[in-house]
Amino acid sequence: MELLVFSILAGLALAGAIGVILARNPVYSALGLLLGLSAVAGLFVVLWAEFIAVVQLMVYAGGVLVLFLFVIMLVDLEQRGLDTDAGRIGPQPSPGWRVAAAMLGILFTVFVGALLLQEPAREVPGAGALDAVLRGGGGGGALGNLEHVGQLLYTSYLVPFELASVLLLVAMIGAVVLAHRER
Amino acid sequence: MTGYLPIAVMILIGAGLPLVAFGVSMLLAPRKPEPLKYTSYECGVEPTGGVRERFSIRYYVIAVLFVIFDVETIFLFPWAVRYRVLGWFGFVEMALFIGVLVLGYAYAWKKGALEWA
Amino acid sequence: MLELHHVLMVSVAMLGIGTIGMLVRRNAIVMFMSVELVLNAGNLNFIAFSRFLPDPVGQVFSVFVIVIAAAEVAVGLAIVLALYRNRDTVMVDEAARMKW
Repeated sequence: MELLVFSILAGLALAGAIGVILARNPVYSALGLLLGLSAVAGLFVVLWAEFIAVVQLMVYAGGVLVLFLFVIMLVDLEQRGLDTDAGRIGPQPSPGWRVAAAMLGILFTVFVGALLLQEPAREVPGAGALDAVLRGGGGGGALGNLEHVGQLLYTSYLVPFELASVLLLVAMIGAVVLAHRER
Repeated sequence: MTGYLPIAVMILIGAGLPLVAFGVSMLLAPRKPEPLKYTSYECGVEPTGGVRERFSIRYYVIAVLFVIFDVETIFLFPWAVRYRVLGWFGFVEMALFIGVLVLGYAYAWKKGALEWA
Repeated sequence: MLELHHVLMVSVAMLGIGTIGMLVRRNAIVMFMSVELVLNAGNLNFIAFSRFLPDPVGQVFSVFVIVIAAAEVAVGLAIVLALYRNRDTVMVDEAARMKW
């Protein structure tokens, strides 16, 4: 049952990912990204990371994707947004470059996938082992997923957390500097 | 994972309903294409310009601010849940975090990125 | 029975698709979407190991990955907009000159 749900979601995620890179129109790429990211959120739920699934939907599907669609609408889609070779002003590429690049990526994927298949099945904790760790067992009373992340984030990972705010500050200032036009 | 069954059913219904609706209308509805029917819909008013209108670039800064503060809220959730345990230490942490982000907000405000004149 | 290497296979496939997208596409916006795919593959690995080790630290890491992705998109798309404003294109190979 778990494997079945996982397979369906994984198929959807990969279908969305393939849609992103195959679609000619960037709007369809964005919709493929939406499908892929939502399916990955579902995978997170299957892997007992409910909080990360919610974060994924909130930040990616709710924020980052909106940003992508905004930019697609900000640039002139009709004229120059489509990824076709017609009407390009730059140097013409040699014909096989896309094929070569795609082959490189596929080879890499197949290679690592084959390595993973060769890996002997090792002793892994069964389904819900993390759940057991989270919801009791390890002392300190029963903690949920969210509580556990919070506990770690605000004690052991205090410095990265504060640095994240600096990163976000830099991103905000960078976006304002680059996108805002003084008039 | 059985607790997610209602959500799965909800998603299936949500995806199925429009598919059924579009499918039925495609099968049953009569089709008489006319050039007027392909113009963009504008609340029944005579349309001005195409659908693929370009947006003002100032929307982008607003959208970025939204995404940044969206990310801020994902830090607030685990913090709020653990607040009783973390106590004043947690409060100072979060105050620092939000303080740094407010600096960026103040910068955007001062640069006039939020103004619509 | 769901096992670790199932998740890792999906993750590496997603990483491969993202890499191909980076290499093949010319539209800078779609290239950014490919970067998102790669970051998601990394996140999927973090979550998979977090479940199968089992250790919740992986989930904390993936929160940071998501934060970094959001910051990267905010600045990256602003750069795309600046490129579009100055060169009237979002195709990376048409912006091959340092000075116009």
